[in-house]
Amino acid sequence: MTLSHFEALAVFALLVATVFALITKNTPREQFRYGVFVFVSFLFVALAVGWIMYPLPL
Amino acid sequence: MEKSEQGLEPGSNPEPVQLRRPLNLVATLAICSGGWLIPGLSHMLLGKWIRGLIFAACVILMFVLGLGMHGKLFNLVFEEPLQIFAFIANVGVGAPYLLAERMNLGVGTMTATTYDYGTTYLWVAGLLNYLIILDAFDIAKGRKP
Repeated sequence: MTLSHFEALAVFALLVATVFALITKNTPREQFRYGVFVFVSFLFVALAVGWIMYPLPL
Repeated sequence: MEKSEQGLEPGSNPEPVQLRRPLNLVATLAICSGGWLIPGLSHMLLGKWIRGLIFAACVILMFVLGLGMHGKLFNLVFEEPLQIFAFIANVGVGAPYLLAERMNLGVGTMTATTYDYGTTYLWVAGLLNYLIILDAFDIAKGRKP
């Protein structure tokens, strides 16, 4: 199976956000909002950290 | 943030939360064991079918994707103490782990570009199942709806 890094990240974020939302919130509305928040946070933080590390000589 | 007279945040649900009657310890542990063996089963046994099915789909899909990405499943090897943590994470997924081990899957191809992602998927699938079991434990004990 060949997924790009971003695709693998997005699938990972989607699955984890779904479980987190269902575990931590009780109503469907809260679950949806929290799930979207976690999903977007995963993507944003990963992209931000990626760009921060970009100039580092690794 | 502004709060109402009852101390609730605006938009929050003021209705009392319905908690179930706590189950005894044996029943709770049996349900949790079932949830470990088959992801999502504990919630299904507690009557939360949709939630259980979603949990099962998420954990099993993550596990299968991890295997598909040539991730590695770790065994219990006492000579390599740090591998024990990886084993604990892997074994959290329950029956799929045992099945994959029996079928000699999860060997791990380090030369594959997705090896690290696959291994992480396999770890997180097990760790998520632990969280799901804890959630089922709280529900069974009447601590959350």
